[in-house]
Amino acid sequence: MSSFSRSAQQWATFARSWFLIDARMQPPGKIASMCSVRLQGKHKPIYHPLSDIGDHVVVMNTRHIAFSGNKWEQKVYSSHTGYPGSFKQLTAAQMHKKDPTAVLPEDILKNLTEELPQPREIPRKLSEYTQEERDTFPMLWTPPEDYKMK
Amino acid sequence: MVFLTLSCWIRNRGPDRYWKVQELLKNARHFRGRKNRCYSLAVRAVRRAFIYASKARKAKRRNMRQLWISRIAAASREHHMKYPALVHNLLKSSVQLNRRVLCDLSITEPRSFLALAKLARARQQEGFRAALGDGNEPPGVFSRITQLS
Repeated sequence: MSSFSRSAQQWATFARSWFLIDARMQPPGKIASMCSVRLQGKHKPIYHPLSDIGDHVVVMNTRHIAFSGNKWEQKVYSSHTGYPGSFKQLTAAQMHKKDPTAVLPEDILKNLTEELPQPREIPRKLSEYTQEERDTFPMLWTPPEDYKMK
Repeated sequence: MVFLTLSCWIRNRGPDRYWKVQELLKNARHFRGRKNRCYSLAVRAVRRAFIYASKARKAKRRNMRQLWISRIAAASREHHMKYPALVHNLLKSSVQLNRRVLCDLSITEPRSFLALAKLARARQQEGFRAALGDGNEPPGVFSRITQLS
């Protein structure tokens, strides 16, 4: 890196990268905080509030975003334009229905530098476990032969 | 009447008003509007400017420290460590580098900063082993350094 010219090194240091994050089954708050850190440029040791060193972040699969708990029904997004009678309150579920999903354009795909790790581990479905894993899983109790399962 | 002859009516005012006015206006030359030309407006504007400058000299130290901390945090997160952990473990290993130096190292000497991050990580693991382990294992290498102050 020391063999590069000064201008080339400067160009490379202050270049803007493109990050990709897959939001499938992830909590939106954690995704948002990761995105905001990279958009501001706070992940770089050359950060300064006046300098324009943020990077681009592309979030895909936002349709499959996963709130924890009962937030789909309980979380409320409120807004007011200032005019009387324009206080709007939408639950997260209604807000999500309005959100359109898009396909990643090709020129973004060409530019992607790095894919970020997902903050939450997605648990596997029963169909994704192999038969050996299902057999070796410990059972708490074995039901007797005439036990009727609903 | 005391001043009966013409020569006694002449008063000598201060001889250097011009230079005193110029000395104040030179601090206002880069202002916008009539504040950079007219003395009465300039006096008020220059006094405010000096007050802001005095307050800012104190705030500069605070802002610089905040900037150093955010830069060190960014650099340590690149090495999978958080800022409070890094600083606390460097303190426990009696590495007395201040935030200004750490920030400069993180920008211009990345490998030295990586070495410091690894040192802090090792001291952190030793601390965990001492707290959570049995006590039968020998204490680590870095824990034997006594913390200065």
